[in-house]
Amino acid sequence: MRPRPAARAARALLAALAVAWSAFPILLVALSSFKEGHRIFETPPSFVFVPTLEHYERLWEKWPDFFANMANSLAVTFGATLLTVATATLGGYVHARFRSRLLTGAAFAMIVVRMLPPIVVTLPLFPVVNWLRIHDTHLLLVGIYATFFVSLSTWIMKAFIERIPRELEEAAFVDGAGLRQILRRVILPLSANGIFAASVFVLVYSWNEYFFALIFTTRAAKTAPLVISEILSTVEGVDWGLLFAAATLQLLPIVVFVMAAQRYVVAGLAAGSVKG
Amino acid sequence: MHRLRPVHYLMIAPAQLMLAAVIILPAASLLWLSLERFTYGRSPEFVGLANYAYILADRAFWRATLNTFLVVNVVVYGELLLGLGMALLVAGWIPCRRLVVSALLAPYAITEVSAVVMWRYMLEPDIGMINYALSALGLGQIDYGGDPTAALGVAAVMAIWMHAPFTFLILYAALLTVPNELVEAARVDGAGAWQVFRHVKFRLIVPAILIALLFRYITAMRLFAEIWLLTEGGPARMTEVLAVYLYRHAFKYHDFGVAAATGFAMLVLSLAIAMPYLVQMYRRMLRDAA
Repeated sequence: MRPRPAARAARALLAALAVAWSAFPILLVALSSFKEGHRIFETPPSFVFVPTLEHYERLWEKWPDFFANMANSLAVTFGATLLTVATATLGGYVHARFRSRLLTGAAFAMIVVRMLPPIVVTLPLFPVVNWLRIHDTHLLLVGIYATFFVSLSTWIMKAFIERIPRELEEAAFVDGAGLRQILRRVILPLSANGIFAASVFVLVYSWNEYFFALIFTTRAAKTAPLVISEILSTVEGVDWGLLFAAATLQLLPIVVFVMAAQRYVVAGLAAGSVKG
Repeated sequence: MHRLRPVHYLMIAPAQLMLAAVIILPAASLLWLSLERFTYGRSPEFVGLANYAYILADRAFWRATLNTFLVVNVVVYGELLLGLGMALLVAGWIPCRRLVVSALLAPYAITEVSAVVMWRYMLEPDIGMINYALSALGLGQIDYGGDPTAALGVAAVMAIWMHAPFTFLILYAALLTVPNELVEAARVDGAGAWQVFRHVKFRLIVPAILIALLFRYITAMRLFAEIWLLTEGGPARMTEVLAVYLYRHAFKYHDFGVAAATGFAMLVLSLAIAMPYLVQMYRRMLRDAA
């Protein structure tokens, strides 16, 4: 139903305002990273200018490690997503298909864990991490990030696997398929959407996470957000152009990813939080 | 094949082991840690409730608690209003819906660090576009470095900006399930837009609103980077929130006992807020299991 023209104009205007509120700060950073240094603080900001790569070149010269840190982010994100999805798919299948007191207890534990503030685990983990000599490793971040999302992801996988008819599994079983084959030939292909929805959240989180990286990395495993915060906090005053270049390199791929994965974000939220 | 076998428990084991090792055991040991004096180079010493006595007598702790309380409430309800407005708008007629939804989701993809970069850039004294515009209008400037209220306000705005997509999506999804016939029936009975919202839509999305509120209450309490990268809790620890207080005591003062007591307080608070939801989930799961 299309409303009257006046109402349509009002709604279009409100939509434009909402879009501006959400997207303007992001566009501002991305565009400003291509502006000459002296134009960065032009007011009002101009959106027509001759682009320059000077800030990216300076980033390359002054913070050469930033690109290694981006690679760290990529490795940690990939590892955490893989680990989360693998464990969540196995667990999600069992929670979708079986009921027992112990399983209910395990599922409830997963819900309770989501309520705990992540910051509190840093204190007890800190000495253990040093004792195990895994401080500043990719592995540590992968383990932490995956753990904080394994609960939500298991829940999402459970919801998606519940929609796969049991009859398909029974047919495969009659044909002589074992559990492993049923998982690989029936469950995995039919829950591809679920796997994608379950990976979106942990992927975005791992790519952007700041707090655990601040505490548990110093050099070798440092991730991009941490370095951006260091560029922001340099004592000689902020080099905005360079900072924008770094921020843009970090945010562009993930913003594009989230926009493209829109329907999986929606499906994952519906399966993961609304139904508990 | 539909019998639960040991191999099925093996399949849930990796997730449960990860949760136990990284979250459950550390969270449980926090209570123990909070009863010790524990710093580098000295063996831990049992001090009973001394750490709790310390934080309860510490003005900075109460300031952090008050700040957390204020910011969390502003963020949660500000976000609810914004998210609800966005959801009502997008659920009705708008041009290019897919594109608008994509744009509204974008802040979800931004790390807290970059969000701080963006807002600090716009709030640079004199030259940042917000402060430039405000002083051009003769309204003064937002001095987040000197004025604690301004700093907390900026942190709240950043948090709302980053997390509005979550509230928006949950409420939008709920609004899409409101049956059109109900809305039409109310219209036929002469209800205006407000009455349709108040008596039909709102009533049907109350469960979704409660879920969004609960999850955001619990996650908003974790606020850290927005404050830490804006003011480091200053000036004079006036803008600390609980997470910053904890971080400072643990990783700047190396006083893990006091930090653990703070952490335990945060943990209890989170669970207390989540309790009605947890009880409801527990009942539902028991029913499903039977």
